[in-house]
Amino acid sequence: MSGRQFVLLTLNGISFGALLFLLSSGFTLIFGLMRIVNLAHGSFYLLGGYVGLTLMQNGQSFWVAMIGGALAIAVLGFVVERGLLLRVRGRTMPEVLLTVGLSLIFADLALARWGGDPILLDRPSQFASTVELGGVTYPEFRLLVLALGILLAALMWILQSRTRIGAIIRAGVDDREMVSALGINVNAVFTGVFVFGALLAGMTGVIGGVFLSLYPGADGEILNFALVVVILGGLGDLRGAIVGSLLVGLIDSFGRSLTPSLSYFLLFAPMALILIFRPRGLFGRATVN
Amino acid sequence: MATQMLFFGLFALSINLIAGYGGMVTLGQAGVLGIAGYGLGIFYTTYSLPLGVSALLAIVSTIVVAAFFGLLLVRASGVYFLMITLAQGMVVWGMAQRLTTLTGGDNGLRGIARPPFAVEYWSYYYFCLGVVALCVFLIARIVRSPFGLSLKGVREAETRMAPLGYDVKRIKLIAFTISGMFAGIAGLLLAMYNNFFSPPSVYVKASAEGLLMSILGGVGTITGAFVGSGVFVFVTNYVSGYLERWPTLLGLIFVLTILFTPDGVVGAWQRLVWAPLLRRFGAADEAELIEVGVGGGGLLSDRARKISKSEMSSTGASTSSEPSEPVEKTRARS
Repeated sequence: MSGRQFVLLTLNGISFGALLFLLSSGFTLIFGLMRIVNLAHGSFYLLGGYVGLTLMQNGQSFWVAMIGGALAIAVLGFVVERGLLLRVRGRTMPEVLLTVGLSLIFADLALARWGGDPILLDRPSQFASTVELGGVTYPEFRLLVLALGILLAALMWILQSRTRIGAIIRAGVDDREMVSALGINVNAVFTGVFVFGALLAGMTGVIGGVFLSLYPGADGEILNFALVVVILGGLGDLRGAIVGSLLVGLIDSFGRSLTPSLSYFLLFAPMALILIFRPRGLFGRATVN
Repeated sequence: MATQMLFFGLFALSINLIAGYGGMVTLGQAGVLGIAGYGLGIFYTTYSLPLGVSALLAIVSTIVVAAFFGLLLVRASGVYFLMITLAQGMVVWGMAQRLTTLTGGDNGLRGIARPPFAVEYWSYYYFCLGVVALCVFLIARIVRSPFGLSLKGVREAETRMAPLGYDVKRIKLIAFTISGMFAGIAGLLLAMYNNFFSPPSVYVKASAEGLLMSILGGVGTITGAFVGSGVFVFVTNYVSGYLERWPTLLGLIFVLTILFTPDGVVGAWQRLVWAPLLRRFGAADEAELIEVGVGGGGLLSDRARKISKSEMSSTGASTSSEPSEPVEKTRARS
């Protein structure tokens, strides 16, 4: 492998990792607090992308599409959480299976509305060109995704460790009963976190539409990546989501280029190792299970 | 259509075996089924081995893969278990898509034959009926065996089984492998039925549909799996002719089942119709038995909540006798 190829693959891996972080940070936050795995998270991603597509078809810019996709999915997340998940609160398996049922419905409705052909969204005009970086020519958009990932990580870090809401969330992860006993409306916190996760998923969908393209089945594929990220990093942990995303992004990037047919398996191997030697994930805590 | 109901029912039953009786909900079972389907296709069409030999090799490979998957799963439970099975299923699907030289990629594998004595539509139906009946008989035996009871013990109170001297990991591994074998048999029947095997059969959606059948019918019951597969086959084959958005209908059925009858059609039947009938005719004991623990209804209903709560709080001692009660009752009956 030449030095330039190495740089290119590394950049690809890191920027894909940043995209994965945008998605899996919300995913892992929802799990950490609510103890549910939102298996409709991939659907949120895909639907967000499609909403962005419709906005862009109507002449809106990428930025409007990104915000519109995020807001639309945040509303959807609110409806799902208040209308359905709240009814089975506290029972893990029904909650998770409910999201499975929802993902089937969303996938079918998306197919009905937006068709089955893969669609690549246009890059924002401000970031449509390329730059020279370490001897390779690299698209600016991917660097933008990387910047967004870093920005979100920093924001969430501050939110979690420096604000009152962050303190409530951290306390809720450790002991839900105690938090509600202190007079905090835990249900409102749950809804807030779920909607925030949905918002991030919808936003990532529009970005992913430029990055990877949108097609039926993209929901399951991206969900699988997010699952591997959180299994590697440990469910419910921000550091885990960062490290897991970068690992998965890099493994996927190098795997695709070196052994295209085995890239899926390459993703699976470190996961298997983690499961055997450290089932909680790299940063997972014992209380999570 | 009746033939489809049979092998989908067997598939749902294989999920039921670990989900309903063992409390391990899987979303990757279609991947296990796919190993058998692809195995049959590869051994039979690519290597031109006799059909019987191919089927046997396919089942052996399925058992090996299921055991390997099981090894990764034994330390996990609940949501972790579900996520890992999901990822495993996606790996099988990804390989089915990408290893085109072996699996034909999107085009799938064609030319998978039915047994020479069961080529006709109706004879294949009786062939499936025979195979599935044998499997149901075996599963019923397994469920009632001491092993089946210890599996229920793992479902009800995993943390309490180990101090009682049970090797929980071993029980889970064996259950997962056995379940994988039956899923594999369903996969063979599916591949022979279509003369064809392709990636959608192993996709996570197929796993979710299997779980849907299992839950719709009633987890932890044998008849439930076939009731569920009957509804599923009816919707996919019949309703789909009238309603273009039938997958949405399936999803809605799934969501409504979880919200309103978490113990499924069979569970609701037993609880609401059968138990009151028994009580009226003077069999109150048996009626109570049904109400206390119809199969694995507890997986999704309130009883499961009590258990998970008692496990979550470290002071499980005060509630310790209660969750294991259904196991005792079942044992007393047999």
